[in-house]
Amino acid sequence: MSDKIKIAVNWASACGGCDVSLLDIEARILDLVAVADVVYWPVAMDFKRSDLAAYGPGEIDIGFFNGAVRTSEQEEDACLLRERCKLLVAYGACAAFGGIPGLANLFQRRDILDRVYRDTPSTENPEDLRPAERCSVDCGELQLPAFHPAVKALHQVVPVDLTIPGCPPTPEVIDDALAAVFAYAEGAAPPPSGTVLASEKALCDDCPRADTRSGTRVPTLKRPHQVLADPERCFLDQGLLCGGLVTRGGCGARCIGVNMPCRGCFGPLPQLYDPAGEALSAIGSIAAQPHEDQLPPHKRLAAVRSARDLSGTFYRFTLPSAPIWRAVDDGS
Amino acid sequence: MDEPRIGIRICDCKGLVSDHLDTARVEQAAGQLQGVVHLARTDHLCAPHQLAELEQSLRDVGVRRLLFAGCSARSSLKFPQQRLNAILQRLGIDKALLEVANLREQCAWLHKDREAATCKGMDQLRMAHARLIHDQACLSPAPLERRSLVIGGGPAGLQAARSLASAGLPVTLVEQASYLGGRLCQMGFLFQCESWQSYCRSECVGPVQAKDIVLDPGIQVLTRSQVLGLEKMDGNFQARIERGAAFVDPELCISCGRCADVCPESVPPDFAQGHGSRKAIDKDFERAVPDAFNIVDAACTRCGDCLPVCPSGAIDLQAKPHILEQRFGAVFLATGFEHHDLDEHPSYGQGSPNAVSSLEFERVMEGGVRRPSDGEEVERICFALCAGSRTRRNGVSYCSKTCCSVAIKQAERIVAANPMAEVIILYNGHIRTYERALEATYQHLENMGVEFVNGEIEEVEQLEDGRLRVNMALAEGQGELLEDADLEDAQLDDDELALDTDILVLSAPQVPRRAAAPLLQQLGVLADPHGFPMENQVRMFRPTESMVDRVYAVGASVGPKVIQQAVEQGSAGAMKALPLLLKGEKELGKHISQLDQERCIRCRTCMAVCPHGAIRMTEQGAVSDPAFCQSCGFCAAACPTHAAQLVNFTDQQILAQAAAAFGELPAGEPRILALLCYWCSYGGGDMAGVSGMEAPANFRSIRIRCSSSVNSGLIMQLLRMGVDGLLVSGCPEKNCHHAWGNYLSDRRIVLLRKLLDELGVAQQRLRFEYIGVPQGQKLVDTLAQMDEQLRALGPNPIPALQRSPTHV
Repeated sequence: MSDKIKIAVNWASACGGCDVSLLDIEARILDLVAVADVVYWPVAMDFKRSDLAAYGPGEIDIGFFNGAVRTSEQEEDACLLRERCKLLVAYGACAAFGGIPGLANLFQRRDILDRVYRDTPSTENPEDLRPAERCSVDCGELQLPAFHPAVKALHQVVPVDLTIPGCPPTPEVIDDALAAVFAYAEGAAPPPSGTVLASEKALCDDCPRADTRSGTRVPTLKRPHQVLADPERCFLDQGLLCGGLVTRGGCGARCIGVNMPCRGCFGPLPQLYDPAGEALSAIGSIAAQPHEDQLPPHKRLAAVRSARDLSGTFYRFTLPSAPIWRAVDDGS
Repeated sequence: MDEPRIGIRICDCKGLVSDHLDTARVEQAAGQLQGVVHLARTDHLCAPHQLAELEQSLRDVGVRRLLFAGCSARSSLKFPQQRLNAILQRLGIDKALLEVANLREQCAWLHKDREAATCKGMDQLRMAHARLIHDQACLSPAPLERRSLVIGGGPAGLQAARSLASAGLPVTLVEQASYLGGRLCQMGFLFQCESWQSYCRSECVGPVQAKDIVLDPGIQVLTRSQVLGLEKMDGNFQARIERGAAFVDPELCISCGRCADVCPESVPPDFAQGHGSRKAIDKDFERAVPDAFNIVDAACTRCGDCLPVCPSGAIDLQAKPHILEQRFGAVFLATGFEHHDLDEHPSYGQGSPNAVSSLEFERVMEGGVRRPSDGEEVERICFALCAGSRTRRNGVSYCSKTCCSVAIKQAERIVAANPMAEVIILYNGHIRTYERALEATYQHLENMGVEFVNGEIEEVEQLEDGRLRVNMALAEGQGELLEDADLEDAQLDDDELALDTDILVLSAPQVPRRAAAPLLQQLGVLADPHGFPMENQVRMFRPTESMVDRVYAVGASVGPKVIQQAVEQGSAGAMKALPLLLKGEKELGKHISQLDQERCIRCRTCMAVCPHGAIRMTEQGAVSDPAFCQSCGFCAAACPTHAAQLVNFTDQQILAQAAAAFGELPAGEPRILALLCYWCSYGGGDMAGVSGMEAPANFRSIRIRCSSSVNSGLIMQLLRMGVDGLLVSGCPEKNCHHAWGNYLSDRRIVLLRKLLDELGVAQQRLRFEYIGVPQGQKLVDTLAQMDEQLRALGPNPIPALQRSPTHV
């Protein structure tokens, strides 16, 4: 038996970008396999779940889990990986916070199924069928995983030791993660449980545009598709909603670099009550015309009333981890 | 933290409380609370002997914090705040370590059901306790410089400087001109006062005022100087002042005038508004103070002719301006006014030397009234009132309120001195000579036969002979009146009048000096849309106080003034500053903003919302200056990372209060939490009780700072804790004590409701209202409506969500 450490990688509800980001480390993957045996990585190598199940509890050193958890199969995978691995890593925004798939939590399960199997213009389903967990066909009985009522982040299913945020994680963060893996392989202690490989401060703090923030009001709020953003100025100063106020830094401000406001994939700052709440508190504070005493009420509120899709803006990658983590049915 | 050692005193108020709720049960509940070392009920705490007994009891058991449960600290007309403070002081307890549970106005008097009122009383007491246990002593007083900076040496600035100096406080007075007195010197005749129908000569009273200042050893007078920059620093103001070059040493100059006699260069003096001339080395006018000659740098050729004739060697042609850096404890903006620039109005005959502003006309009159263009005799003078004021096009919308009286004063002088000249006053709608003397002068003038023509000036043409033709649309009925008036050279056609005049005096409105705008900006002083500094709320009781602590806006800098009003303001501003400056320190309130630089992300949102200019950015992050903080809490509410917190009004305290709020509320009753602003809405709640209104007994109130002091993230947390409905209420429109807190809160709640709606949460759970003190009924109605809606909705569904597993 090799004295290398063992690592496993699993893919759940995600786009596949996280796996690609791991493959994107190029030659360094050789450094990785020099210290680690990849014992499970279905998307890249020919493994089956039975290969993973064959290990005993804790026999694998590190499990990387990317993607959110929506189905019973994904939940089983998460539990299995948790049990087999000493350290479980939530890799990427979906595993860490629920990610883009988590926005499905704005809708009830039945509405999603109706939409997909009945309402979309391209659906042809005259018998109004819905997928069933079990169905009989000529050659026997087929099974599908259960479609859970809501999307969960990995930590809502099993305990997580280390979180690597990002959609996908950036090369710099992956480097940090690899450094931790190499150190672990050399016998060093892993990072303390609960570690998030990102800054403890908001992106604003190390935003290249920080010094252009004027500390004044913005008379109107805009969405990125409505304007050609100034490539130098703070987005908020331009009236563009930016997640940098409440999102952890450490991403290298890559979106800002390509003139796009922060979308929030590094997840909320620690110690916030609710990232959207805090962001809206700041934005509600500055989004207004001056001299509002002289304005009629509708003009005083015009800027904030024009704001759209607040949940999609400030929970874009994090809804399942938010305080109100799925839409509720509140008497309406 | 030290052992809290809390004393709790519950007051029955001789039955005014105990007849409506069971104070014995409230006392029992209080006995269960943490850290209580003294607990008693009393029946009339504000009676002197009971206060004395309270003091003795607190002393005997060594109480370190006090909770009073009884009448409202906000609204009770007998709440013994000062006496309690004095007791605390004698016991060595910081005044911040006192909390009040409102058992009377918002429990006993607001709910008819004794049981429900008692339950609420117990909860409100627990809430006060939850807050008290986290309270901390006030921050140490902020040391203040005793020296004041007065910017502007006109009537208001001189009066402020004099008042301060007479109390022994040092003053630096900065004046851009070479003389003191400002606009006063430019006006020959001055209203003695608004209610006394006679005049003073400025050459008499002006120098008397100015000389007192110049010779006062406590006042550093810097004429020909300007403030280049102002910055708040450690509770004080750091100023950069450019002191004009001292070409003539005022200490040596004896004002003999020999220099001016030999000086070959002439220049129009600023003082004379473009009329008359002075030498490059000269005084602007005979009685100018300081009594020294000066050099107009741009006009002096350095020929040196003046040097040999000066008997005292006072002249130094190579003198340079220099920069002073000084710190001040207070700043007086006495920057005065300028006339609205009528260049934008092509229709008033600008460009013609015979169209003059009312200030220019003062100088024209001093020269004996002649046509400015050619010095010819004057046959007719027209005054155009409201030239650029009370208009929506090309001017200001407000009434400059001084111009009618000034025009009447000037017209009266012409009538007296030049009886052959015809005076016509063209006004638009109304003559506004308020006060006894000014209105009397108006009537006197009408009796003297001065013509008053009501209408709107449409265009002024310049005629070849130098005269001006005023075309105006007459007000209804004026045409008929004028037919009898027999105006020479006037063409009257229905409602159109064309009138030729030798001089047209334009009553342009007073507007703030342009040079004042950067000062306001540097100080963070909010201004109205016209550029005048806003007064601090409650405005009627705080004249001269700007929104920034210890920045006083006096005289015409804050709105059109006549001289007496400007002087009043100088005194008033100084009086406001005196107690602080004499003490040399400012005691800080209980709630002061503090910014944790570790958590600050330099987003500057706090700076955008602070209405008091208390926050500045440093390399390490934003810093709030406690001596400028006015405790509104906007920074805490706007800060996305909770780096900004208000001492004694922390997130932790609000959450602790909310957690204690509904302990006695029967299950199934909607839990309504009302966050009521400190001055208005909380007072509204009290007044509802005072007026015998009835509100649903399932609401609990927290007296928050401004309505805009609670972060939306915190509101989400309150909903998550199981509050079924949340009301945030602030001052009525235009009445916020902090300029815009109610609007900020309104906007934040709009956004949060949108978010909640997207998440399926009923918007009825969160509401913002504008509720003033006399609007108790509105508060009661709002709460009743919420109660009804929340009962229909059922319990808040958010807490149930939190039971999902989480493994962080």
